[in-house]
Amino acid sequence: MVLARVKGTVVSTHKPDSMEGLRLLLLEKVDAVTLKGKGDYVVGIDSVGANAGEIVFYVTGSSARMTETTKGKPSDATIIAIVDVIEKDGVLTYEKSTAEGAQGA
Amino acid sequence: MNLARVRGTVVATKRSDKVEGAKWLLVEECDQAGTGKGEYLVALDMVGADRGQVVLLTQGSSCRWTSRTDDRPMDTLVVAIVDEIDQQGESTYAGGG
Repeated sequence: MVLARVKGTVVSTHKPDSMEGLRLLLLEKVDAVTLKGKGDYVVGIDSVGANAGEIVFYVTGSSARMTETTKGKPSDATIIAIVDVIEKDGVLTYEKSTAEGAQGA
Repeated sequence: MNLARVRGTVVATKRSDKVEGAKWLLVEECDQAGTGKGEYLVALDMVGADRGQVVLLTQGSSCRWTSRTDDRPMDTLVVAIVDEIDQQGESTYAGGG
């Protein structure tokens, strides 16, 4: 699973019927240590109700079809979790409660 | 499978994966000597790995071939803790137990 920050939303009106109602989010992959964006963006389907500014992790490939939201849907990147805390080498590198507001979208 | 070193943990309460008792590890991809490459992933722990240990990662659809992850949206698993790596007769990594 890959760590990313939700940077915004993607809107599409021309898409297969099977994709109706799916929420497309613009994600920027982040460095797990600094939480800074890598400048590498991907569009992911939301299955957890993630919002702009939040750190999430997503699954890719066929595993992206395995959530209730994306079963049978043509997704190859699905957000499956909103991150609360990241700990590296015993030090908290990210805490959602303190990051909220400070980070924004 | 790729080699990685366990660097920490990730906590996430709002999830859609439905994996019971999931523990998420922050792992850094590493070479055969255990040297980190600076690339990090979040992996589901299947073996009770601890920080500092070199582990084996299974990625992609193969991750769903365990009883806990069958039909679950998982693409990165820690499936083994590495004890030792030998390259042409030379030990490149030995776990501290």
